[in-house]
Amino acid sequence: MTEVIAAADSDRQYILALDAGGTMTDAILVKPDGTFTVGKSISRRENEPLSYRESTSDAAAQIGMSVEEIHSLCAADIYCGTGMLNTILTGDGRKVGLLVTRGFEDITVMEGGLSYLGQSQAEALHQQLHKHTRRLVEPKNVHGVSERLGGGCYQGNIHLPAGAELIPLHEGQVRKGANALIDAGVEVIGILFLYSFVDPIHEHQAKAICESVLKERNVDIPVVCSADVAPVSKENGRLKSLLFQCFAAEQVRESLLAVETQAREYGFKGRLLTLLSYGGAVNMEYPRLYETMISGPIGGLIGAQFIAEKLDLNSVVTADMGGTSFDVGLIIDKRIGITKSADLAGHRLALPMVELDSVGSGAGSVVYVDEYKRLHVGPESAGAKVGICFKYDRLTVTDINVALGYVDPDYFLGGQMKLDRERALAALKETVAVPLGLDVYEAGAGVLDIVNTEMNDLLRTMIASKGYDTHDFTLLYYGGAGPVHMYGFAEGIEFADVITLPWAAGFSAFGAACAEYMHRYDRGSRLLIPNGMSEEGLTDAATQIRTAWQDLERDARAEMALEGVDPEMLKFRYGVSARYIGQLESFDTVLPNGEMEGPSGIARMIAAFEEMYTKIYPAGARFPDAGYSLTTVNLEAIAPKPQPSLPEHKLSGKQPSAEAYVESRDVYHKNKWTKFSVYEMAALQPGNEILGPAIIRDPMTTVVIPPARMMSIDARRILHYR
Amino acid sequence: MAEALSERNEVLVKNLKPAESTPVPTLREIIAKRDQLTESTGHYYGVTELSLRDSDPIKYERFYAKMHSAVLAARESARFVAASPGSREMGESLWGLATAEGDTLAVSLGFLSHTAILPVSIRYMANNDYDVNDGIDDGDVYAVSDGLTGGVPHPGDFYTYVPIVVEGEVVSWAVGINHLMENGAPVAGSWATFSVDTFMDGLVCPPMRTGRKLKQESWWKAIWERRTRAATMNILDDKMRLAGCAMIHEAVHKLIDEFGMAYYKRAIREVIEESRRMILDNMKALLVPGTYNGCAFRLVRYEGLQNVWSHANKNTLIHVRASVEPNENGLLLDTEGSSKWGYHSYNATPGGADCAVFLGMINSFSHNTKVTAGIELAVQRHYPVGSIYNPDNEYASNANLWAQTVALNSIGFNAVSRATYSRGYLEESFTIDGNWGAFQGAGTAKDGTSYGFTNFEWLGGTGRGAWCYRDGEPLVWAAWSQIATIGDAEEFESTVPPLFYLGRKLLKGYFGYGKYRGGPGNSAVHWCVEPGQHLALTRPNGGLSCTPSVGLGMSGAYPGPGSFMISARGTNLDELISEGETPRDATELLAMIDEGQLKVENLEIWKTDCPELALKNNDLFVDAAGSSGGWGDPLDRDPMLVIEDLNTGMTPNYNFVHEMNGVVAVQNDQGEWQLDEQATAEKRIAIRRARLDESQTAESWWHAERQNVVTKNFKTEIQEMYAQSISFEKFNLEFCGFWQLEAGYSLEAVES
Repeated sequence: MTEVIAAADSDRQYILALDAGGTMTDAILVKPDGTFTVGKSISRRENEPLSYRESTSDAAAQIGMSVEEIHSLCAADIYCGTGMLNTILTGDGRKVGLLVTRGFEDITVMEGGLSYLGQSQAEALHQQLHKHTRRLVEPKNVHGVSERLGGGCYQGNIHLPAGAELIPLHEGQVRKGANALIDAGVEVIGILFLYSFVDPIHEHQAKAICESVLKERNVDIPVVCSADVAPVSKENGRLKSLLFQCFAAEQVRESLLAVETQAREYGFKGRLLTLLSYGGAVNMEYPRLYETMISGPIGGLIGAQFIAEKLDLNSVVTADMGGTSFDVGLIIDKRIGITKSADLAGHRLALPMVELDSVGSGAGSVVYVDEYKRLHVGPESAGAKVGICFKYDRLTVTDINVALGYVDPDYFLGGQMKLDRERALAALKETVAVPLGLDVYEAGAGVLDIVNTEMNDLLRTMIASKGYDTHDFTLLYYGGAGPVHMYGFAEGIEFADVITLPWAAGFSAFGAACAEYMHRYDRGSRLLIPNGMSEEGLTDAATQIRTAWQDLERDARAEMALEGVDPEMLKFRYGVSARYIGQLESFDTVLPNGEMEGPSGIARMIAAFEEMYTKIYPAGARFPDAGYSLTTVNLEAIAPKPQPSLPEHKLSGKQPSAEAYVESRDVYHKNKWTKFSVYEMAALQPGNEILGPAIIRDPMTTVVIPPARMMSIDARRILHYR
Repeated sequence: MAEALSERNEVLVKNLKPAESTPVPTLREIIAKRDQLTESTGHYYGVTELSLRDSDPIKYERFYAKMHSAVLAARESARFVAASPGSREMGESLWGLATAEGDTLAVSLGFLSHTAILPVSIRYMANNDYDVNDGIDDGDVYAVSDGLTGGVPHPGDFYTYVPIVVEGEVVSWAVGINHLMENGAPVAGSWATFSVDTFMDGLVCPPMRTGRKLKQESWWKAIWERRTRAATMNILDDKMRLAGCAMIHEAVHKLIDEFGMAYYKRAIREVIEESRRMILDNMKALLVPGTYNGCAFRLVRYEGLQNVWSHANKNTLIHVRASVEPNENGLLLDTEGSSKWGYHSYNATPGGADCAVFLGMINSFSHNTKVTAGIELAVQRHYPVGSIYNPDNEYASNANLWAQTVALNSIGFNAVSRATYSRGYLEESFTIDGNWGAFQGAGTAKDGTSYGFTNFEWLGGTGRGAWCYRDGEPLVWAAWSQIATIGDAEEFESTVPPLFYLGRKLLKGYFGYGKYRGGPGNSAVHWCVEPGQHLALTRPNGGLSCTPSVGLGMSGAYPGPGSFMISARGTNLDELISEGETPRDATELLAMIDEGQLKVENLEIWKTDCPELALKNNDLFVDAAGSSGGWGDPLDRDPMLVIEDLNTGMTPNYNFVHEMNGVVAVQNDQGEWQLDEQATAEKRIAIRRARLDESQTAESWWHAERQNVVTKNFKTEIQEMYAQSISFEKFNLEFCGFWQLEAGYSLEAVES
């Protein structure tokens, strides 16, 4: 068996983690002492193994080792990419065929009418802007099959029970549909039947029939059931999960396995891991790989959770500015906020996902003025081509940072990439200054002001919209461009602290290194616990929950054993999704353990639900008189995995050493030229304080400290902005 | 934790008494000052300079962002308390913050035109001295569902108001609104279709205090349990509204603490005045001056259905008439010429009419501004007293107003669309329809458990009418909510135990034809399984018994067809199930009946309102709604688009489009349609020639029709309709002028 996670033995104590973003592929190499090295390369979407190689080689070279040595000493290797999302966005996925419950053949076109996902309130308000998403399946390749299960009703047991068979599966129609889809040349068949989350029996029967047809036709394509991909209620979200899995996941799996092959060729002995959209790491055999759809940004939040735990911070807001977007997330009570339905690229999936809010302003965002003299920033991005100062043909935010002096054109990626400041200046003049009748530097400062303000608004809104106060939050900023723009997007907001780390540019990769090896398992339920339920009923309910957990534990052990995990090493977290009878939304309730015996077990579960509920809502929103309904029983299975550490260092004096000072240069900051002192990140020591106006340069990023502000470095090398 | 939160709320409830020396203005005085300042200056609250914004724009925007965030957060958090799909995800809910006078400051996502009517309740409370007699305290909870005193469109919409009081003075109101699944009228559901007066409208609450300190009183729960048929859902929805209001209440108190009361009071005025100015700019940029007229008609079919109430026992044709005229202060929407109110459920109050009118206005002019009461200041409305939009009878029912007021919205919205088309904003211009549907009812299970329900699905999305440059899309919007969605079958089924979907589809060919066709409407087949003791339903509707929302299509196209429903009772469904050939939509069901495959003992196709339909085992209820209109002459349609629609099945009937679009096509061996260009050209020439042959001159048409008018040769319902409309001077002049009638021409209502 291939090791899924190499044990943290004395020979293999390095951790490698990569974040392949739209622009850069960052590699972070965690050394045995818990310190880090960051490598970087341009992202090569067409050849991910190559950017993997370049980025890891860069990290290894910085500590004088070869890429082979690093891999042979590596305990865990985590890779987060955007390939799946790109597949959805570009429509370059598998050709999908679907079998659905008869009468629901138009479900993929109707999309539940959700035509505004991802829009701001202003956009959604203007209904001319509503539109459907790019189709992931051709309508002609959707076939109905006669079958029906019932799902029960919220009033309880006054009608047919959940899972009752109303119409048996029509085998002939399944066979006919499967043949038609094979004739149409589909590359994967998905099956979506109503209430399959209650009982997958019809879907599984249909899958078996399809597989027999495929065998008869000598065709080898996968058949995927919605109940196996997303066994939760609401058919529209379940459909999207199924489609993502069919359309993108299998294709991307091949690409990820190619990266894994590269890693193994370098001597890595374990399995390459990637991140789930709700946290946790899995390997590339994970059956529901669509759940890793946005693994990159998740890394940052996992890293932030790690930092929050290490620094004992209850409330953290993260600000990740990369090449294409600015993403904001929250860590509350040291836990990552999770939303139960993910909105991605205009689709709403039945997928738990970390809560992130984004605007399309990144360092690579295109800047232009339209015919009405309105200035626009993004959403198009130069990606790895950076800007007109490098290999792109349009003005970008980075061009302006270069033109105004914030970013050193000779020190991008530590000087590996030379940027052309004159070209950037000329483009700024032509694209913005002349059309708006402004001085070229004023124009550049104006653009940056707009970009910073947009991000500032998002930060403020993300916190306020959840009912929180910024004063209670520590702002943790990262991403290649985060330290460049922090002075602007944090301006005017009072945080408890504003921090970053020397490896800010590779922070998402660092976060990936911090991830647990974890799978989550859900089982749909329609269990009702009405008020005044008999002891016998409560005992029976407890038995049902306990049995479900036991089933999920068994599933976890079996599935993760296939991935190379020793089942004996697994730990479990137990939970349910519950609601008051009549409610439509269920609320995840984490239980302290998996003990569930008789009425007392149910009572503890209800107490946990009430505690969770009243954290969210005023007491007046409680409704225990209605009784309780369980819609999901869930389980998180966690396998041990090596983690990085944040070692403390001896503090030096406040004054940076002379070696740390590089130069001073003029920066057009806030509409005037100002002399900024430039320091080298690597030469700064814990305890140092850098007074603004100053710039801390690093091969991966640039930290801008405006006049009258300062940056202090603590014992863990964390940079605090004052 | 619950106790801790309760304590937190106690602390927030600042029921502070004013200092002896500080006179606290009454609500009546507060409103009078607002009106005097606004009317005397032409600027909201007399704000001629945006001094806070201009002196420190960052602080000002931060203030607004916090206020706006509070209402956004309230919705995003509170809606999950809900029991009804409509409230949780279909956009049938809203939270807002208003000034002391009820002028909207910020709104969440949802059916946000409701904010236009917040002042009605507040003014009613002020005029009736609610704050003087027993007092309005911080964190009180008020319930409102009355159209007359609360401006509520229909009692199916329920409002929760929570005053924000500082030092004894009401400074703002947090408001939560949602559409109930059942509101306890004789006709079960959410729209009491056959009400003849307000006493049949269900749970109608003029503004009344139902709770204190952010908690409802105990008796309030009993009201839901005893006066509605879906108590659990309604109680949870009530808790949902209050939960959101409590969050806004807390956030606003913090906001005032942070910015100070003086800043708060000034800034909220500037926010509204600022948005008013931006809206005026938008109107000037988008509209072409002139008068945009529109009309629509809605049949009230009560004859024979209301024998118990003889005064209501007649059919009525409602005339929906409106004009839009841009002016210096924005625009005027005038409904003069619309029918009078009647003893039916289709009346509106001015608040309800506002709620409809502002759907299109906010979409068109507020979307890029702060959404506030500024739009109400920029859109002047005229609802003549005695008309269906302003009844001079305090007991008029308004339970099913949306069945006609969506047409009023469509007239205004289409006026904007015509204006943007005229100005060349083609990407803004499309045909607007408001063809909604829903069904509602009640049942009693085998074990005696009773329940009420509403299925909102076709309220959650419609096809979009054709654009002026391309076809409309399926299920992409709903005029009444910017975040519409039809929800999930798996959720709706959980609310109506014996009903199961056999189909939920787009209805192909079900749209208005034109150079560009509309987006298709939708159809669902509901199957009744073991209904227990009783199951019956009715269907309120915005597309039933009426002309399409706009009487005419855009630029020569056909409007979207009206909605309909089918009851198929006494079927051989068991046989079809065994064959796997159950009907999936309205068209297929009718075809299966024609072919003898589906046998039905009692088949009824309802294009008008129907009485309560009781369903037995294996009965079917089928509905169709959400169609939309076309744009341009169907003969100008690119023939290849017709072929594409034939090959995708979007237009299932070749013979129909052959005549409609003048396209000749043949099917190849694979069954694909292929264009015959030459024959198509000839066909189109022939159709155009036939049009000319069939037509008459405008003059001859006018003379012939005038004769009917002069001799009063009208159907009963039409004569009554015109009699009502010409009782209003503006329409009288228009009508008599157009037909050149002699002075003194009059029409009398005819007894049917």
